[in-house]
Amino acid sequence: MNIIVCMKWTPDTSEADLTVSTTAKDIKKDDLDYDMNDWDRFAIEEAAQIKEKVGGKVTVVSLAPEESEDMLRECLARGADEAFQIWSDQMEGGDGYAMASVLSQFIKGRPHDLILTGTLAEDDGAGQLGGMLAAMLDIPSATLVSKIEIKDQKASFVRELEGGLYESMEMDLPCLIAVATGLNEPRFVSIRAVRKVTSIEIPNVGIDEIGIDVGKVGQSGARVEIEQVSLPPEGEGAEIIKGKPEEAAARLAEILKEKGAIG
Amino acid sequence: MNILKPADAPILGAPAPAIAFIILFLSVAFFCYVMFRRLDVLRKAAPDPRFSNISTRLLRALMYGFGQWRQPRYLGAGILHILLFAGFMILSLRSLTLIGRGFSPTFHIPFLTGSVGFAYESLKDYTVIVVLIVCLVAIVRRAVFHPKRYDHPGTAGHEYEAYVILGLVSALMITDMIHDGSAYRASGVCGEYHWFPAAAFASVFMPSNDPATLNFLHVGGYWAHILFFFGLLNYLPISKHFHVITAIPNVFFSNLNKGTIKPVRYGTVDWMELDQCGVSDLTGFTWKHILDFYSCADCGRCSDNCPANTVGRALSPKMISVKARDYAYENFPVFDKTSKDPAHEKRLVGDIITEQEIWACTTCGACEAECPIFIEYIDKIVDMRRYLIDRGEVPQSLQKPLQQIKKKGNAYGAMKSKRAAWTKDLEEFQVHILAEGEHSDLLFFVDSCGSFDPRIQEIAKSFARIMARNKLDFAILGQEENDSGNEVRRLGEEGLFEQVSGRNIEAFKARNFEEIVAFDPHAFNAIKNDYPEPFKVIHSSQLIYRLLSHGVMSLNGEYLGGRVVTYHDPCYLGRHNGIYEEPRRVLKSIPGIQYQEMTRSFSRSFCCSGGGLLLWYENEEEKERMGERRVKMAMEIGAQVIVTACPFCLINIEDAIKTTGNEGKIEVIDLVELIDRSTS
Amino acid sequence: MENIYVLAEHRKGVIRDTTWEAIAAGRKLSSELGVELTCILLSANAAMAETLSTEAPRVMVVENPIFETMNSEAIIKTLKEVLKPSGSYVLLMGASNAILDFAPGLSVALDAALATDCFAAEVRNGKLFASRQMYSYKINSLVSFKDSERVVLTIRAGSFPYAPSDAVKGAIENVACPIDPTSLRKRFIKYVEAEKGDVDIASADIIVSVGRGIGDEPDLDVFQSLADTMGGVLACSRPIVDKNLLPKFHQVGTSGVEVKPKVYLALGISGAFQHLGGIKGSPLLVAVNKDPRAPIFRVASYGIVGDLNEVVPVLNEKIKSLKG
Repeated sequence: MNIIVCMKWTPDTSEADLTVSTTAKDIKKDDLDYDMNDWDRFAIEEAAQIKEKVGGKVTVVSLAPEESEDMLRECLARGADEAFQIWSDQMEGGDGYAMASVLSQFIKGRPHDLILTGTLAEDDGAGQLGGMLAAMLDIPSATLVSKIEIKDQKASFVRELEGGLYESMEMDLPCLIAVATGLNEPRFVSIRAVRKVTSIEIPNVGIDEIGIDVGKVGQSGARVEIEQVSLPPEGEGAEIIKGKPEEAAARLAEILKEKGAIG
Repeated sequence: MNILKPADAPILGAPAPAIAFIILFLSVAFFCYVMFRRLDVLRKAAPDPRFSNISTRLLRALMYGFGQWRQPRYLGAGILHILLFAGFMILSLRSLTLIGRGFSPTFHIPFLTGSVGFAYESLKDYTVIVVLIVCLVAIVRRAVFHPKRYDHPGTAGHEYEAYVILGLVSALMITDMIHDGSAYRASGVCGEYHWFPAAAFASVFMPSNDPATLNFLHVGGYWAHILFFFGLLNYLPISKHFHVITAIPNVFFSNLNKGTIKPVRYGTVDWMELDQCGVSDLTGFTWKHILDFYSCADCGRCSDNCPANTVGRALSPKMISVKARDYAYENFPVFDKTSKDPAHEKRLVGDIITEQEIWACTTCGACEAECPIFIEYIDKIVDMRRYLIDRGEVPQSLQKPLQQIKKKGNAYGAMKSKRAAWTKDLEEFQVHILAEGEHSDLLFFVDSCGSFDPRIQEIAKSFARIMARNKLDFAILGQEENDSGNEVRRLGEEGLFEQVSGRNIEAFKARNFEEIVAFDPHAFNAIKNDYPEPFKVIHSSQLIYRLLSHGVMSLNGEYLGGRVVTYHDPCYLGRHNGIYEEPRRVLKSIPGIQYQEMTRSFSRSFCCSGGGLLLWYENEEEKERMGERRVKMAMEIGAQVIVTACPFCLINIEDAIKTTGNEGKIEVIDLVELIDRSTS
Repeated sequence: MENIYVLAEHRKGVIRDTTWEAIAAGRKLSSELGVELTCILLSANAAMAETLSTEAPRVMVVENPIFETMNSEAIIKTLKEVLKPSGSYVLLMGASNAILDFAPGLSVALDAALATDCFAAEVRNGKLFASRQMYSYKINSLVSFKDSERVVLTIRAGSFPYAPSDAVKGAIENVACPIDPTSLRKRFIKYVEAEKGDVDIASADIIVSVGRGIGDEPDLDVFQSLADTMGGVLACSRPIVDKNLLPKFHQVGTSGVEVKPKVYLALGISGAFQHLGGIKGSPLLVAVNKDPRAPIFRVASYGIVGDLNEVVPVLNEKIKSLKG
């Protein structure tokens, strides 16, 4: 069982106050802490658990510059056997399509029975990489998967629909599964667990080694172009609606209506 | 008549001394073998340096071991135990004498002759009566009133042990009375009954003119006594009553380092290189910790005081000792059993002591403060947590804050650069951020809670105001500060503790200051007791007390307005660091204060459910929150204001006031805030 | 762009609302581009096309039992064939969980650019722009599509208000199923209902959540009624579960259920981080609490400092009257 897990290195924006960069094409990222994309944490845990159950080898791959080494070490501590960091400066500014192109080129040359990744990434929130990668590799895929069982060269799984409904499905291996958060309970990775894997080398692979055309990566390989980013208009803290309770409630009802918040 | 002496009475034709010798030899040999097997387990256990400060240890053994100093914390049971213990001490000489009388009818212990001997005999006789009464009272207490703390939830067959031992002791007393009573009857000297009440009492039931019966009672009572004695001796190390032997050594070897946590493994240079970190099995514990297990008398005072146990969490400290002792007896048996079926083998950590128990502990230390013989629990809990952490088995609710501390130095997940942002709300003055090489008198360690929790920021601001108003030269570390690591360490993530404490120590060393001051007792404790390098650190209550005693600050009672005030001792200030008085003195210097002490105060303070990362921990089993219980205790004494000196107590209790629907009836406030508001 | 397509989403034989919103977006683009809107239905029952034909001038239907559910592999393979002759186009779909399963793969198969979860789309000087959100939904981003003749957009629910059209009945065009369903490597087995309770707060868009501020013996009907009026569900913070006022599956928080609503009305919730940690995304957060210092106000967009007993009934009535 060869499992490949695609991990993303994303800025933690949930607690940060974001500002738009001078080019207005992205946010300022200098002050942001980067971390493992939370969805991918469940993917690597699932890979480790599948390996513990059915055996095999877990390979982790990430398209990220060197600073992401901590994340890959953490993956090794969680049970991955090897990790690759794919990065060349030309890869800067790539969208999901460009990233999928690089990953598919890298994965094509290696044995893969199961590819795991998170359904969404916290930065672009597009949820596109998994499906694109599977299409490029011509293997079936599924997203938002909340339960996986591997048996007889098949993956049985359950994926989330809305309103508490799930669909139970199966796919032939090789396949790609993009997981939902909460499908497992990711293990804790202690400082010592990471130290134990310090001796494992994490190769840094450039696009030349992968053998992909420069025009297909980064900004030139992207199909979507960000024209402008902006902060959604909103005030600092709550706008307190003043007045007597009845008046305030009435005003709030109007605001909810304006915001389309009344279903 | 002259009564027949046991040494002169052959048994089935064999001379009595020969029989006495065989009994003595077999009993002592068996006892030594059992003890060897029991202590052999300690030899296999982890190292633990407990031979330092011999004088302190001797003093402790005298005071708490022989002096039974902690026993009266439970007055009734304590007095019973003291009487029983004193009886044991007195009667031990008697037992030696009796053993000797099996060999020679005139045997006596040197110096116990003449009038001294007579006095001892008399004292012994009174003691026998007292011990017998104590045993009977104890049996009645257990059988009729059965206090809850004597229960053994989840295990079977432990209750009977107490009856066995009480029965054996009673039997010793009764056989002694028969032995002496028959001699008393035979001597016919009835006038001495007030010197020998036990013998005189027993003789009442004996015929006066039947030498054969009296001889039989005298000799029979003797041998029965001897058999019960050696029976008891050998029963001790195979039952919970091992404490009779190990308790005093256990006190002697007790932990002298209050407030800190043991290293992962003593004597290891780099614990990270160990095959295993933390404790998963019996011999992973230190020898002293196994001695703890042997020594537990199942009295249940720890669990009775354990806040986690009180609110229905899975933890009962006593049961950790009981279960570990059972495990030790089963897995290191006196006589090797044939090999066990591995399928039925249970792991000590995980199966027998469950993860729920291990995470339920708040490390408040109430159990350790209560245990009459200084059994330790926090270090064991932490050692087991270290093992779970190493395996990645950590409750999800705790993982996130731990990861945040690893990445950002605070559990709130806030950005490092915003660590000093709380100071911006202070308009009257600016809080100086101490740069490398700079000097200030006081280094104010705000910790993560004061930096990022909106409610606790208010305490930080109050404290800064107090210091500024009193013209103290203080500064903070700003974004160079990291989480103190107190809870990180107690949750068993030693590597992370080393990381955050290391960064703080580096920051401290690069700056000049006289002392560190913290209003969070957890940070105070970590810096004071856990950090490997010594820094002078004081708690805010100490600083305020100092200001008051120097007369530079004056208080008024306006804010309190005559309300009834009580003080909640934070665990890491009181129990772990012995700071009980300063906060109270500060409070009592507020003019017109109406102060009331809660029943559970000082070392019996009731934990509010823990600070630091434990604020994130969500326990599914508890029926009531600890803070709620604490609010009820305060309400019971009519308090209207609970003052505490720990930000986490404040948060937990403030929450509990809301959940118990007591808003408006009672208020909780940090000492620092109260002083800020009570300063003219 | 020569065509605008909308792929209909259906579940258990019913066209889902996401389809109508995608049609609304399609109508906007079709008027801006001046091209016709075509609705595509892949279904086991071609009769479903009837409902679509009143909303779109043209409906293409592929009927096959495999389309009983939205099997991503079947859809990708089919659309690849069906749309082969179409030249340049925009394909619109709702941003639902079912569609997220195939939209990215489909875009690769169609050699099209993709923007998911768009809340706005427009054509300026013949160029298509879409707006979506990034970085924990905290940043709006306007995107365009490079050198692409084909664009796939998925449309966030609630972004394009839909109104039934009085259009003339569109033409229904049947297309033969171009794939062999037996060759598929991905197979649907069955639907599974979550073993939760009667309410699934995890996927609710509108949540009315109550905390300890509602008092010890609250009348939960008042809050349930407000939730019903707003078309949402009733959730709570931990103390409410602790008091057995609501079952555990109603609890929002790190130890409860993680929710991703669009609107979160926090009533009597102080805003402990364990609770806030369970609210993902960035909903419109409105707080009512009598404590002006409650942390919830720091994260809420709007707040009322006041007594719930006074505010909630009025709010309920007002919303009812606004809904008409």
